[in-house]
Amino acid sequence: MDKRDAESVKQAIGCPMSRRKFLRCLAAAGALAAMPGGLLRSFDAKAGKIIYEGDYEIYRNACPRNCYDTCSIKSYVKDGVLQFIEGAKESTFTDGGLCVKGYAYTRRPYSPDRIKYPMIQDGRGSGNWRRISWDEAMDMIAKKLVEINDKDDSMLGLGLTKYSGNFGITNYAVEGMMTSLGYTTRLVGTPCWPAGIDAQNYDLGDMWCNDPEDMVNSRYIILWGANPAWNSVHTMKYIYAAQDRGAKVVCIDPVFTQTAAKADVYWQVDTSMDGALALGMARHILDKGLFDKAWVEENSVGFNEFADYLRNEITVQWASEKSGIPQQQIVEVAEEFAAAKPATIWIGYGLQRHVNGGATVRSIDALAAMTGNVGKTGGGARYGHMRTWGFNYHALLQKRPEGAKGFLGGKGPKGDFDFSGDEEAEYTDRALNINKTAEMLLTADDPPIRVLWISCKNVLSQDFDRPRMLEAFKKPELIVSVEQFFTQTVELSDIVLPVTTLFEESTINASYWHYWLSVNEQGIKPMYEAKSNTEIAAALSARMNKLKPGSCTFPTEVDTRQWMIKEFNQDIYDLFGIDSWQDLKKGPAKAKMHPASWHDLEFGTPSKKYEFRSDLCAQHGHQALPKFKAARKPYDKLRLLTPHTKFGIHSQFINIDWMEEFNKKPYCYLHPTAASERGITDGDQVRVFNKVGEVELEVKLTQNVPADVVMMYEAWFRNNAYNCQNVVDDTSSDMGKYKTGAPGVAIHDQFADVEKV
Amino acid sequence: MKKQLAFYIDAKRCIGCFTCAMACKNQYHQESGVIWRDVYELKEEIYPHRERAFYSLACNHCENPTCLNVCPVVAYYKREADGVVVHEQDKCIGCGNCIRSCPYGAPRYNPVLKRAEKCSFCWQRLDDDRKPACVLSCPTEALQIVDLAEFDEANAVQYPAGFPRYPSLNPSVRFRLPAMPKMIRRKL
Amino acid sequence: MSQMEMPLVIFTVLSQTAVGLVAISAIRQHAADGPAGSVRPEWMTAVLLLIAGLVASLFHLGHPLGAPMAIKHLGNAWLSREALGIGVFTALVIVGFLSARGRVNAGLSFAAAAVGLIALFFTGMTYSPPGFPALNNVMPFVFFLLTAAMVGAGFASYFTPAEKMPMITRILAVSLIVGLVVYLVVPFLWLSGGTVMRQTGLNYIFSPLYWARIVVGLVVPLIAIWRMRTVPAWVPVLVLAGELIGRIAFFSLAVHASANMGGIY
Repeated sequence: MDKRDAESVKQAIGCPMSRRKFLRCLAAAGALAAMPGGLLRSFDAKAGKIIYEGDYEIYRNACPRNCYDTCSIKSYVKDGVLQFIEGAKESTFTDGGLCVKGYAYTRRPYSPDRIKYPMIQDGRGSGNWRRISWDEAMDMIAKKLVEINDKDDSMLGLGLTKYSGNFGITNYAVEGMMTSLGYTTRLVGTPCWPAGIDAQNYDLGDMWCNDPEDMVNSRYIILWGANPAWNSVHTMKYIYAAQDRGAKVVCIDPVFTQTAAKADVYWQVDTSMDGALALGMARHILDKGLFDKAWVEENSVGFNEFADYLRNEITVQWASEKSGIPQQQIVEVAEEFAAAKPATIWIGYGLQRHVNGGATVRSIDALAAMTGNVGKTGGGARYGHMRTWGFNYHALLQKRPEGAKGFLGGKGPKGDFDFSGDEEAEYTDRALNINKTAEMLLTADDPPIRVLWISCKNVLSQDFDRPRMLEAFKKPELIVSVEQFFTQTVELSDIVLPVTTLFEESTINASYWHYWLSVNEQGIKPMYEAKSNTEIAAALSARMNKLKPGSCTFPTEVDTRQWMIKEFNQDIYDLFGIDSWQDLKKGPAKAKMHPASWHDLEFGTPSKKYEFRSDLCAQHGHQALPKFKAARKPYDKLRLLTPHTKFGIHSQFINIDWMEEFNKKPYCYLHPTAASERGITDGDQVRVFNKVGEVELEVKLTQNVPADVVMMYEAWFRNNAYNCQNVVDDTSSDMGKYKTGAPGVAIHDQFADVEKV
Repeated sequence: MKKQLAFYIDAKRCIGCFTCAMACKNQYHQESGVIWRDVYELKEEIYPHRERAFYSLACNHCENPTCLNVCPVVAYYKREADGVVVHEQDKCIGCGNCIRSCPYGAPRYNPVLKRAEKCSFCWQRLDDDRKPACVLSCPTEALQIVDLAEFDEANAVQYPAGFPRYPSLNPSVRFRLPAMPKMIRRKL
Repeated sequence: MSQMEMPLVIFTVLSQTAVGLVAISAIRQHAADGPAGSVRPEWMTAVLLLIAGLVASLFHLGHPLGAPMAIKHLGNAWLSREALGIGVFTALVIVGFLSARGRVNAGLSFAAAAVGLIALFFTGMTYSPPGFPALNNVMPFVFFLLTAAMVGAGFASYFTPAEKMPMITRILAVSLIVGLVVYLVVPFLWLSGGTVMRQTGLNYIFSPLYWARIVVGLVVPLIAIWRMRTVPAWVPVLVLAGELIGRIAFFSLAVHASANMGGIY
């Protein structure tokens, strides 16, 4: 490539790419490079013929988003430009395919909307952004950090909020960077799945699901509040396979979801009454003697007390009244479920986003356990697992600076993915509840959050009580966002730092659902001035140490590929049956684990058995037995549901222009009866409002939602102010504190009304 | 019968996830607004639940392709070996005749190149022993590639409700109809 | 055809006007007794209409320089045949114009008219694609024939001697009456078709374009001719305007078959 060509490539990829530019750039760069290969090709080849293996550099990547499927990706790069991607054939789970979000990745590095350079906003929320250099940005931030440390005699004035925007293991460098600066304030917990994690820990001693590929062995499948057709598309083929082999699939959901449309039976349960339904089924199974007597005697504690509770306080009629499902149906499905061996239940995450969510998961676990379906292939109460996450967490585990002071008396986990292994020390970080971020930012004092660092998270789109969050974001003295796009969170930040996409960094990815492990190789140079989270930490450390030697222990030079390699250990190699991480370059590897969780029936509970009665649960202030827990009292006329859209993961992907081709704007969904009572017709612009705030958008009428529900999807559109968190408050769910550091949040215990605008 | 590749759209398995449509964009980077494969929702008259049943459609590579027949500059050809209908964009003068003519809306106008374009059945991938990008991408095997010369699926239909009937074109596409679960709704 | 397609509107209306003009000129010169009229200016007008139309048609192409390629597919493509037909017709009209001495040679006149009508048939076939169920029939040819008759006769009146004005007036009046009936009936016939055809019919009935073309291009000219018993000079202009509006409607109101994908057809 001569210099002019190189220049033209640089120009072409240095600005937003149109397809034409993309092709022209290829032509320019590829003309010379392709010559030798071109000469070898037969002359009669039809114009436009493409050789896929050979004409491209092929890299291994993995989707790092918060998703069941964590797809393994094969990336095709030509002349330094990502051309297209596929799913890795080597993973039987991904099987060569990705999803609608995954395939949009090809656009992401070249998106015209990408944040290209560090920028500073003159006046938070003003939109007056100007480009600064990395040096300037790091200098401003480092000076501020030194200043607050001098003022407070600790780094507790530095707060971190980070969640699931990028689950690549090396991204724990963000937490590592915080540790390396001293004792800081962390927003801990998870909005995602905490109540269910605690529930499974009380019942089983850990959250550990069967291999999803093992679902083909199930004779009966209950998809309880799970919508894999949208949120785990690759699991659907195992459900279909089980169906083809004669298994019955029952889908239980307040909404007639896409998954429900593929089931054999759909139950429209009253939202948050799933626990009552499970207990009613359990009572009937008990009455009919269909429970697995041998299993419960051998492997559980407290079954008799649970049985007494069922006999004394639960009836099928009561369950029917609570859930809205006819008794006849409850009886029929309960009997079928108990008789089918093995039978399995997939417990979705939406189901536990309620004030009684943990209790609900416990009663569903109990249904699976009493029928002897725990520890069996094709069985199990499936929720998630962390059994393949035994990395070194090299990026995370940093030393505190000499003499750092922190918070006295704090302890407990810092979220669901807490691998800190902090040594016993006099001080700890200060932990604040991530699910009440607005309140925490407003009330934290001595010191207040002076500097807020945001990475892998879109706070303003994803955290609750947004009207209050807008207030809270006025308080910190400096807000730094590490992002790829100008999200609503970046809009309220002072400095934004451009971060790499998966193709521009090296990392490693595991799933909390399937058993596969994927390496993520850097296949293209970072576009513009983007840096990975690891490199950002190193850059900040360099500047901190220049200003004040010894103020940051994070290495000042990092090689992200080397840091990725440092995450591996012999246990990982043994678990996945590989000799070295290099083997993953040939394709993802699957953990050599038994497909059934708890197959050895050695439970992780204090009693080492399945605990229908959990004393630990009682100690933590809940009920010892998986008893019914009342729902949140409605505070408005309709229930408000804000689940995932199929076009995004939380606030991600929806803004990409390729995605806009298929999903142009947000809608809310209303039952025709609810609509006609309000004089609303299909396509009207409506206002959804409650005590928290309001949202305006177009309505679609459908019986997919019950008549007492209004539904809209979580989303961030680049050209639309829509934000569902305007009408969601931050009321806690019952469980989550035990394993994730903070209780969950009752996202689906929300209420609102609708009117025509 | 001669070999004729076709798309088999299994609406019973299809979850309307748009993965196929995006896989196509990922492969060909079409200009904004130019879509070769789209996922069409079945209207409530056909499937009674809104946004819950779909047909994923692109070019049907018809036995008697209108696009080919109406193209004044012979920019289309039908491959002898597999019946794939290919549009040679460098020959196209952008008259729009194929776009008007195809009742399935397969050819689209590329406003930047000022020429038509359409689904190629990924013939370059086929020639390299690869499945078309959309077919490979489908997570539920609801979109498949079949050879009509050998295809023998009793439940398959060529013109399901929601798909226009043009026997003179004989579109190379087959469908399986969507199903519905037993519905238990609570009373309010 | 969600766009107005102005280049095609101009090309089709002007070329059809030329066909009508030449055909009526041939009849007037050679099939009726009396003076021929201003034949040379008349044929020059046809030449200018054709050239204007052809130039306009180039603007419709993404790549106008490729226009000569458009005759490559005579075996199958009506558009290739149309291009050839209009090309030959234009050549004959030019020869007619150049060779005209008071009259154009009878054989040449009728040959040009015949080729023009054949080209007009090709155009009708080109614009009746399967993609538009409402138009995938003989209607476009009928519409185009009416354009030739109405605007062609209207324009011919400028070159017609007083002796033959009653004939031209009759031709125009009959054409307008037939046109009025056709245009009033067709959209309602579409309503009885499938979903897409019905939608096209509704689009017409609720479109100001449709009613404007009825009033401007058909009703007002008819009333004028009825009252004045001849063709006033402003009437052909009005008829042409009506046709142009009607052609915009033709291209912009027809619903494409793919628009209802997933719905009942």
